[in-house]
Amino acid sequence: MSEETTLRFACFGGRCGVYVEGDAAETARQAAGRARSSMLLWHRIFTRFSAASELSRLNADPREAVPASALMARLAATAREAAELTDGLVDATLAGELSRAGYAADLPPALPLRLALALAPRRGAAGASPARGWELLNGDEAARVVCRPPGLALDSGGLAKGMLADELASTLGAHRSFAIDCAGDLALGGAGGLAREVEVESPFDGTVLHRFSRRDGGVATSGIGRRSWLGADGRPRHHLLDPATGMPAFTGVVQATALAPTATLAEIHAKAAVLSGPAGAPGRLPWGGVLVFDDGSHRVLEAEPAAEQVASAAMRAG
Amino acid sequence: MSARPGAPDGCLGARELARAKREAMARRARRIRVWVAAATVSLFIAAFLVVYVQLASGHDPALVASAERRAAGSSGTSAAAAAARKQASERERREEQEAARSRESEAGATAAGSDEESESSSSAESESSAEPSTSTESSTAAEPSSGRESESGSSTGEPEAESSGPSGLRTSQS
Repeated sequence: MSEETTLRFACFGGRCGVYVEGDAAETARQAAGRARSSMLLWHRIFTRFSAASELSRLNADPREAVPASALMARLAATAREAAELTDGLVDATLAGELSRAGYAADLPPALPLRLALALAPRRGAAGASPARGWELLNGDEAARVVCRPPGLALDSGGLAKGMLADELASTLGAHRSFAIDCAGDLALGGAGGLAREVEVESPFDGTVLHRFSRRDGGVATSGIGRRSWLGADGRPRHHLLDPATGMPAFTGVVQATALAPTATLAEIHAKAAVLSGPAGAPGRLPWGGVLVFDDGSHRVLEAEPAAEQVASAAMRAG
Repeated sequence: MSARPGAPDGCLGARELARAKREAMARRARRIRVWVAAATVSLFIAAFLVVYVQLASGHDPALVASAERRAAGSSGTSAAAAAARKQASERERREEQEAARSRESEAGATAAGSDEESESSSSAESESSAEPSTSTESSTAAEPSSGRESESGSSTGEPEAESSGPSGLRTSQS
């Protein structure tokens, strides 16, 4: 049995990691180094906070059809699919609203979650944007073009992290075991079929709420505790917006961890669960997960049998 | 105020005298009320401005205290605090193990890219979550072939050690 190569580094506004065990066409060390370099490069492409990034240039481009890299086109297509899958609840076209809410640059340390919840407005489930801008968004990876009305800004957000974790996972499958951690969005797998323990962290105090054992697939956590700040009006703000209002969503669910066949799907379902509120959230986690509520309680959800079958089929299909 | 009929010129009658005294007392009471109200309002505005300026300039003592508590692994006495401390120490221990493994195995690894940021193989996770941050960290393990990253680990081709299996991961809000 060989040693696992582990790289941990700052990227995507958080802590990322690459874990590879077992040599394949390239050694585990080479594969881990390549994955790390890719993540750092992709960070520079997808950040909103640099005017020179491809995403910022795309958002500022006055043309309707903008030539883009294949990955950017895939992000646009993924954003469209995410909105379709959640009927507009997971909407990646709210970059303008996010900037107006105050998330236009690096954030100071997050507000303590309990304080933010105490200052927050009444709870309510989020809804789709009446403008439904995402319906006008298209990404063609083959043609390398992104189409959208000028002014409709795309936010990479968690979707890019999930998508990039999957992209790297697709190149590491021949290794005995691997894991990609894109700032909390995880893609797991490996030819050895080894199980890996995944801990779910409490947004209140960092304690471990639950442990999953996973051989492959994706795990993602979304919530309102990590990126939050105080608005000029004294009200708390965070980065998960209610598309219906363009304002931060306080739904009663403060964090959702989703299991899914891919990290992208896990990210979409985790975000949809937070935005759906306590009543709708369990239905958003068909492959299982963990929900954390305003009062600090949490609920562990098992996979629905039908979803298990879908996941198995997806895994068999590679 | 006029002299009372029948009273000596220039002298006030008892009634006028009493009224004058009452009016003087009322004026004094009014003056004191106004002064107290003004002082209260001024004090409130001053205190509000101090707090507002402090918060607006990003120096919220509650946030600082919270960050210090987190950094110190929390010094509270509650069960939750104890659990958090235990968890933090477990994580530190695990990351130290990761660091040791990584230092051994990282030397000689080659990167496909040419980024200049050093990679971390462990160290306690920082709380900073600034979006574009790609900060350099301690405990670096570089890829010598890239020629652009510093190296601190051994570069000898030692045989790889046995491992007990894939390391655990933690998912938190992205």
